[in-house]
Amino acid sequence: MSAAAEAHEHHGPPPIHYSSRINPAVLGIFLFIGSEIMLFGSFFTAYFFDRIVANPAQWPPLNEAGVPFERPWFLALINTLILVTSSFTIHWATVSCKKGNRAGLQAGMVLTFLLGLTFLLTQVIEYHRIGFNTNDTAFAATFFGLTGLHGCHVFIGLLILLVITIRAFRGHFSPSAHHGLEVGGIYWHFVDVMWIVVYVTVYVL
Amino acid sequence: MTSVTHDHHHAPASPSGLRKLTAPGWYRVLWTTPLVGFIGLGIVGLIRWAADWDPIWKSGPLATVGTVSFPMGLLIGLGGFDFWTYYASGKRTRPDSHDGHGATSWRDYFRINTDHKVIGIQYTVTTMLFFVISGFMALLFRAELAQSGDQYFNPQTFNVLVTEHAILMILLVIIPAFAGLGNIVIPLMIGAADMAFPKLNALSYWLLPIAGVTFIAGMFAPGGGPSAGWTCYAPLCAHQPMGNIFFNMAVQWGGASSIMTALNFLVTIITMRAPGMTFWRMPLLVWANFSTSLLVVLATPFIAGSQFFVLFDRVMHTNFFEAAGGGYVLGYQHIFWFYSHPAVYIMLLPGFGIISEVIAVMSRKPIFGYRLMALSLLAILVLGFSVWAHHMYVAGMAGWLRVPMMASTLLIAVPTGIKIFSWIATMWNGKINFNTPMLWATGFIATFVIGGLSGVWLGAVSIDIPVSSTYFIVAHIHYVLFGGSVFTIFTGIYYWYPKVTGRMYNEKLGKLHFWMTFIGFNATFFPMHYLGTQGMPRRVADYAPRFQELNAFASIASYLLGASTALFLFNMIWSWTKGEVVGSNPWRAMTLEWQVSSPPPTFNFDEVPQIVGGPYEFGVPGARHAILGSAQAEPVATGGH
Amino acid sequence: MTRGSIFKLFAYAVVAGAITTAVAVFIPWLPTAATRQADRMWFSIWFAEIIAIVVFAVVAAALIYCVVEFRVKPGDTSDGPPTHGHTMLEIIWTAIPTVIVIAITIVAAIVIHDNGKAGTNPLVIKVVTQQFTYQFEYPNGKTFNILRLPKDRNVKLDLSSKDVIHSFWVPAFGQKTDAVPGITTSIVITPTRTGYYPIICTQLCGLGHALMRSEAIVLESTEYDSWYASAGEAPAAAAGGTDGKSVYTAAGCGACHVFTAGGSAGTIGSSLDNLSVDAAKAGEELNDFIRSSITDPDTFLAPGYAKGVMPSTYKSSISGAQLDSLVQYLAENTK
Ligand code: HEA
Ligand code: HEA
Ligand code: HEC
Ligand code: CUA
Ligand SMILES: [Cu+2]
Repeated sequence: MSAAAEAHEHHGPPPIHYSSRINPAVLGIFLFIGSEIMLFGSFFTAYFFDRIVANPAQWPPLNEAGVPFERPWFLALINTLILVTSSFTIHWATVSCKKGNRAGLQAGMVLTFLLGLTFLLTQVIEYHRIGFNTNDTAFAATFFGLTGLHGCHVFIGLLILLVITIRAFRGHFSPSAHHGLEVGGIYWHFVDVMWIVVYVTVYVL
Repeated sequence: MTSVTHDHHHAPASPSGLRKLTAPGWYRVLWTTPLVGFIGLGIVGLIRWAADWDPIWKSGPLATVGTVSFPMGLLIGLGGFDFWTYYASGKRTRPDSHDGHGATSWRDYFRINTDHKVIGIQYTVTTMLFFVISGFMALLFRAELAQSGDQYFNPQTFNVLVTEHAILMILLVIIPAFAGLGNIVIPLMIGAADMAFPKLNALSYWLLPIAGVTFIAGMFAPGGGPSAGWTCYAPLCAHQPMGNIFFNMAVQWGGASSIMTALNFLVTIITMRAPGMTFWRMPLLVWANFSTSLLVVLATPFIAGSQFFVLFDRVMHTNFFEAAGGGYVLGYQHIFWFYSHPAVYIMLLPGFGIISEVIAVMSRKPIFGYRLMALSLLAILVLGFSVWAHHMYVAGMAGWLRVPMMASTLLIAVPTGIKIFSWIATMWNGKINFNTPMLWATGFIATFVIGGLSGVWLGAVSIDIPVSSTYFIVAHIHYVLFGGSVFTIFTGIYYWYPKVTGRMYNEKLGKLHFWMTFIGFNATFFPMHYLGTQGMPRRVADYAPRFQELNAFASIASYLLGASTALFLFNMIWSWTKGEVVGSNPWRAMTLEWQVSSPPPTFNFDEVPQIVGGPYEFGVPGARHAILGSAQAEPVATGGH
Repeated sequence: MTRGSIFKLFAYAVVAGAITTAVAVFIPWLPTAATRQADRMWFSIWFAEIIAIVVFAVVAAALIYCVVEFRVKPGDTSDGPPTHGHTMLEIIWTAIPTVIVIAITIVAAIVIHDNGKAGTNPLVIKVVTQQFTYQFEYPNGKTFNILRLPKDRNVKLDLSSKDVIHSFWVPAFGQKTDAVPGITTSIVITPTRTGYYPIICTQLCGLGHALMRSEAIVLESTEYDSWYASAGEAPAAAAGGTDGKSVYTAAGCGACHVFTAGGSAGTIGSSLDNLSVDAAKAGEELNDFIRSSITDPDTFLAPGYAKGVMPSTYKSSISGAQLDSLVQYLAENTK
């Protein structure tokens, strides 16, 4: 071992030098979301091929009874509104936190969490009553594929929200230190925006 | 392994008694793995029972969930999530804690370790292990191919061997080997103490052995191993034996690992460069990993998607790619290649970076056309996304797609050519030291140009059609992947070996390794071009007798490759303890990693270094790349003084 | 660079080029073209080959020159000249490859365009693939296992698949395309030489992939016409025929099974010569056993064989009457 390493006495690394103004965690979550968008992209690609290329004439295709598959677009619309609302509530929580308003932060987080949970439960019930199953043609595959993938993201998002809520109640966020909240919030917004795209493609178009 | 000795810094004291079972580590793994694993399986049973599905215990869903839950148990046991569970439950955490950083004994390589240098070694050693395993599989099926007719393996076993050989080489050797070398040197090169997210870094490493073990477990799955080729085309893949489920899931583990590492590289390179380290002063290896990581982050989700779809088609009976249910079969190939073409550049760009480092240093000259070298990486990245369908010229896809795909495919020859020519121009008039790393780098240029030119042939539709899916492709694959990627990995391993171990490898053995590989490689794979044009399809255990002689020749030559690999392993292991001790900078290089001790201190630098110039200013009077704190390293004779 | 070094470099390039050219010319890389399409393809290959030789010779010469001339002398620790680049050179080696690849693109595009033209009155043959056989359906509705083609006439092959992706390739014809379930793909060929040619499946399609072969016979057009006129007498096959033996051949059982009466010697599946033994093991009557072995191959596994090997698609691809006669035929000819 060289003399240099022995001369190396003090503990811990040298102070970190940041070469960019963006916070690493925030940059990280944006890149991660980029990756997530591509994952959704692959599902949309499958949808594109199954619908536009393979079944251009009739979508949704006809089921065994000879009528097109029914998509519960109205229920999903209400669900969409619920999810969009939750984007606002988490924004409110973040703003409250930055202003030092702890009650607002806590209320905002609890509301967001509950709205997200409502969305997910509604989705599960919808699956249960929808009247077709995964093996019913490529339409069902893309339907369950896209909504299911999104559902998984909501589930992960809910876990993150839960963590943030717990930490909010424990007082870990302050007007000056709230990266955890911010990063989780960015992810939740992504989940919401993605839903709008999924909703429009799967239920409306 | 006395390599990374950090006298002052201690890994967490090893617990005793019952605490052993609860503290992160292999004792805890012993019970968390079965616990979490079987809970996963139990949930499957529960859901199927509740939904009244028959049978309750069905192999497909069980395999799918089991390949997630057992590894999860392992990770939990190892402590991969400890920090986050602490964080999540609202406990106080110290994000800057350095527990689990560094290594003082070999045991520290077998736990969650947050030191980028340790992780780099973990990666590199793991990939070499898998290189031997998957290479050995190749030697096995080459034995079958030495004669026409059926000898040792039935078609099922043969296909399993080919499939595993290829996927392990790609997902468990080449891609992570670059991640490993990058891990060791990137933070050093940019003057950072570690990666941006050390805990994530540790976790991404541990996903890798999980992926590898899952792939290999698949070979022994009841019913048979994955046997649809590494491309796992639908619909065949969805109707293969159960091993294919393991294959699909292992790809997810490997993919997740590479996405997480890439994300870490990107954030590290963007936010943690030392003062003065502008993008135009970064070593080309950092540039290369930067572009590669962008590719990984954006492309890898597509292979994840493709494997999910075939998995769903099989386990949940969906019809994504089942023609009978209205699915579109070729959709799979589009999605798969949208990842897997960029993947071939993921498997080469970091290698380009390594070659640039070595050629500049060993020729004692600045890189020729530095900026164009960096920009050509970005050009390859962008073009790489627009060529996927060149793997589908004969697949029956829309005819109009072929010409634009051909144009963009062939255009990639231009930035790649820029790199080749600039390397040669860097060597031109240099004072070249043909030591082992430089030999490999030179050999790389020669073989890769052959592979690249056969790639250009394949890119031209009218040439691809007759040779697609034949041994011509097999030849191309190995010229670019072995003669390209593997050669660059060897270059990198030899080049940084003294940095990582503090000792020099054996030069004579290194050169012998090169010549044996170079000759064995060309002898094995060059004849395959001929086999292909003459009519031998790929992925067959049996072939027409007229191809007998050449195949026997290739098989024998492949054993030379096996022998040379054994030589390499011996050199690496032997030199680690017996090699000559060398100083911090045996190559007289300018980049930062060579300015600290070998092996580098735990936190790389005492003070943040100050970057004042380009990384390859050899021969420029008085030029410096960086100014380090006073007591950092022994004096270094940089060129020109 | 001095005169001498330019000369040396040039000499290296000539030697490297000569060796590569020798390899290209003296090794018979390509099978003799047997269709007009292959002629065009071979032309584009030669075009690219010349380019590849030049590019390789240039790179090899420069590399060898570096290796020979720029070796450092032992003990010399000085650096090379600090050249950082040369704009003109960089422009040149960007521009020339660009021009070259555009040229290749144009040539290849013209070739595939010409090769895609089927003319006004092509002979259209349907190629139906399934694990591990080809069936060729002629315009008159007759189906064969062997492809017979007239010389000098445009033939359009329309490929489809009943199970997984297969492929159609005749090396000497140049053309190749996959047969994909759910869609129809096609290629055009215009045979120019009579003779026998192997048809090869190049897409991994299961365990019998290596054995999925057939034959293409190119006939003089007069011979072809007389064959076509009398083709009704040729053995009827799966599509219409229900003769047990032809079903056996048409469905490709022989690719995997030894069956003496059927003249097949495949080694992937079990021998079909002693079925009564296994029938007894399964506790079933012979005919029922054979029937269920074909429709549901996984219910009873021959000892030593794995599940999922024998295709489970015969249920749907063999019609009821055909299945009856196939079972009949097997039961009669086995022990
Ligand atoms: C490291 C991996 C790697 C790399 C770098 C490449 C590089 C290239 N590949 Fe390759 N390829 C694979 C790995 C790779 N490939 C694999 C694994 C497969 C098979 C997959 C499977 O089916 O299993 C495959 C298959 C494959 C196909 C599909 C064949 C088929 O299945 O029918 C095609 C077709 O276009 C192709 C083209 C190219 C091209 C044009 C390049 C170019 O990037 C090459 C560029 C380089 C050069 C051209 C040389 C240097 C340049 C000069 C010296 C300049 C002057 C040159 C000219 C003017 C021409 N490749
Ligand atoms: C990085 C990628 C990589 C590498 C390095 C290799 C290395 C080798 N490959 Fe591989 N290969 C692929 C990637 C790679 N391959 C891919 C992607 C395919 C396509 C698969 C598909 O069609 O799906 C393929 C397919 C493929 C085929 C075609 C199979 C077919 O289509 O039927 C063949 C045939 O010869 C082959 C041979 C070899 C050989 C002989 C080596 C040799 O270089 C191996 C050298 C040997 C070793 C490295 C082992 C060393 C062993 C020892 C030292 C023994 C020690 C023993 C103990 C300790 C017990 N490969
Ligand atoms: C891919 C190869 C393959 C093809 C093609 C194939 N088989 Fe099989 N066959 C097998 C294998 C492997 C077994 C043994 C495993 C089993 O019993 O399922 C088998 C088993 C059988 C058995 C039961 C034999 C016994 O002793 O148990 C019968 C009968 C049979 N096949 C008939 C046929 C017929 C008729 C066809 C054509 C219509 C056919 N097979 C096509 C691979 C094949
Ligand atoms: Cu059909 Cu291979
Ligand atoms: Cu490609």
